[in-house]
Amino acid sequence: MQAHKAVVRLEGPAAFVPYVLWCGAIMENATTMEGKSRDLPPLLLSSSARRRQRIITFLGNGFLLAITSISTLAVLFIFYFIARDAFPFFRAEGFREFFTSIRWYPSAVSHPEFGALAIFVGSGLVTLGAVIVAVPMGVAAAICLSDVLPFSVRQVVKPVIEILAAIPSVAYGFFALVVLAPLLQQSGGPILGVAVWIVGAPLAALSILVMADLATDKLPDRARSVARWAAICLLGAGAIVALTLAGKTLTGLHISSGTNALNVSIILGIMALPTVVSVSEDALQAVGRELREGSYALGATRAETLVKTVLPAASGGILAAVILGVMRAIGETMVVWMASGNATQIPHPWYNFLQPVRTLTATIAGDMGEADQVTGSARFHVLFAMAFCLLTFSFACNVSSEWIIRRARKKAGG
Amino acid sequence: MRLQTRKILDRAFSGSGVLAIALMAAALVILLWPIFDRGSGAIFFTGTVEHRRVMLEKFERGDRREVEAEIESTRTARAPLYEMIGDFERRFDSFDPAERRKYLKPLKDLKKALETLLGPAPGSVRPMLMRDQYGQTRWDRAQVKLAHVLYREEWDYSNPAKSGVLVMKLRAADFAGTPIEKLFPYLEQNLDKMLLPRKTVYWQFLTDDSFDSHFFGGIWPEILGTFYLTVGAMLLAIPMGLIAAIYLTEYARESRLLNLLRTCISTLAGVPSIVFGLFGLAFFINTLKVSNSKSVLAGAMTLALMILPTVIRAAEEAIRAVPRTYKEAALSLGAGRWHTVCSIILPAALPGILTGIVISMGRAAGETAPIIFTAAVSVGKPLALWQTFTQPTPALPWNIYNLATEHEAVDEIRHVQYGMVLVLVSMVLLLNLVAIILRARVARRLRA
Repeated sequence: MQAHKAVVRLEGPAAFVPYVLWCGAIMENATTMEGKSRDLPPLLLSSSARRRQRIITFLGNGFLLAITSISTLAVLFIFYFIARDAFPFFRAEGFREFFTSIRWYPSAVSHPEFGALAIFVGSGLVTLGAVIVAVPMGVAAAICLSDVLPFSVRQVVKPVIEILAAIPSVAYGFFALVVLAPLLQQSGGPILGVAVWIVGAPLAALSILVMADLATDKLPDRARSVARWAAICLLGAGAIVALTLAGKTLTGLHISSGTNALNVSIILGIMALPTVVSVSEDALQAVGRELREGSYALGATRAETLVKTVLPAASGGILAAVILGVMRAIGETMVVWMASGNATQIPHPWYNFLQPVRTLTATIAGDMGEADQVTGSARFHVLFAMAFCLLTFSFACNVSSEWIIRRARKKAGG
Repeated sequence: MRLQTRKILDRAFSGSGVLAIALMAAALVILLWPIFDRGSGAIFFTGTVEHRRVMLEKFERGDRREVEAEIESTRTARAPLYEMIGDFERRFDSFDPAERRKYLKPLKDLKKALETLLGPAPGSVRPMLMRDQYGQTRWDRAQVKLAHVLYREEWDYSNPAKSGVLVMKLRAADFAGTPIEKLFPYLEQNLDKMLLPRKTVYWQFLTDDSFDSHFFGGIWPEILGTFYLTVGAMLLAIPMGLIAAIYLTEYARESRLLNLLRTCISTLAGVPSIVFGLFGLAFFINTLKVSNSKSVLAGAMTLALMILPTVIRAAEEAIRAVPRTYKEAALSLGAGRWHTVCSIILPAALPGILTGIVISMGRAAGETAPIIFTAAVSVGKPLALWQTFTQPTPALPWNIYNLATEHEAVDEIRHVQYGMVLVLVSMVLLLNLVAIILRARVARRLRA
């Protein structure tokens, strides 16, 4: 014990000293043990002793395997128990209404209706929003972490990502409900208007530069410069008009409720970021140095190397990162329960993120309190049916992401 | 493309990555700032005499004589208010019915607003609910309530094309020409004498029971409940996770079974947390019947299952990181496999394992969805250790949700909600800090 404490504290080469001491201790043990059983030859045990030892080893291994199985096969238990309570619902109500109707009146006395389509759409919508927020940011951050930033800066950034991942979901939900929702409700329009400019202006400037370059590439030298500037001015004016129009429309938006799909999408996106960043960073680092160096040697800039060589090579891993991010977003409960508005409706039009929605997880969490009282009714089992859908979806995501990662690794190895 | 453009694109590309990281850091700051800023307001705030009264009457804290003297002085400062109202009420009888009807509702509203601000009027019957027995305990809330006394909210629906607009109307205008008119300026000028605001440090917020659904008192039952749940989950998950990791790294041979186990672990890691909650309800409570209904035990089991994959993975990684030579040296010296694992590999992997354990502990402490159906209740007393096997408990994450959405007076107890979030977040951050430090040490040792 003394030695092991030393291991934790010692640093540098000194850390090896305890191990040497230890090995000495073990040797001593071994000799004393041998001393006790001097009547037996050291290596040739009697057949009964050998049998005993084999049984002990077998039992020990069995015990370890049993514990491991219990902890891992729990997932099969989860599937079984969720399915066991989900199937009574499908047997009684069928599949059609559940998946195709948007009429969700589970507690109606005479004719309860269990159309969960709107709830599925709600889950899908906030997940889509989260992906839109998390994937570009996450992949950009991962590229920056793996290829751009020096090691020392990376050491500072990593904990930030870890803390983002560690903050409890209920704290995110509280923030979304108490800080973000009122903010969106009061000044959501202007914020969106400014955001369009912040995101749109640099993007537009870059794409105009590229387009002007590509369009004037074939012209003779003298005309090229003039034509380029003309194209830039023309496209720039168009972009400014478009941005102004978009900004004005968004600024004038009236947001009737701050607890809506947009709010939840932003927060879920931030919550999914750490997953996306760390998985895609792993994927980027798995791409060998040789590929990068080959590309540099051909005269490509860093951006070109990354976009044309590294990203395609790492595309599998990045896809896996996106899938894992989707899983994180769709399985999240507290944020959507607190801040999505919980209105069972398909927004109109479907991409209207400014309307409240209701998701699978929030429905399970919110309705179980009432349904719990009437265990056995369809009202109770429908929630298990939803959980079963979630479970199946996340299982499919998991298996496919693992398959993608394994294939990518094989490709990188071969 | 021109070289110039390519260079610009290259810069912009790197810049966008840096921007993304900066945005992430900004998101963290924006998220944590209000939590730390307003959460500390649950402990450090400007308390009024009513706060000191609550402390004295419910917790026997503070100097009795001093507080009573303070109460006496506020009583004298408040007396003119009640005199003015009494004066008006005496005159009330001489009014004609139309006038009486005109004043009836405004007077009732005014008295109600005053009661919320200062507590029940002297000589009135002691109200049933504790929140009605005391005035505002916090000076910031008192300011809000003062505005409610001075102004009356009214919705203006005169423009049918638009939704209603909130207008604040002076209450003084309702009582123009009566003795009550003078009440408003008097109240506004002398509120500090009526409530005696003073800087207060209420650190017992962390260790006090709550009263009257969190209107008064602290959050000790929640903290204790979270502690029980987390420790319980760790007690169950650590041995199982460690053994599984040892088996997977040191004993198992590559086989179909091993692949199945690995797939199971990663699937378990991907199961949505709410599904764990349903499973806990269906399996631990309804099938195994570990307790009659929700209990800390069932919640801890559910949480343990949820963090198991994290523990297994962290332990596996830490064990794999131990150099092969250690193991080979031990084996060559005649130590058995189990002996090698226990005396060489585990101690060497310990910091790494601890890192994983600490991180999953943070996750267990903060997770809400699995305990909704298995362990959490909104209101409860702190449990003794032996009660955890049969009884549910309040817990920080659940109560944050509950107070922020389902409480009957959400705005009145914002400070309690923020305080709870602050406590939970600091707990998790502290655990992560420990993990980060541990990891840095491991990294330094491995490099050396």
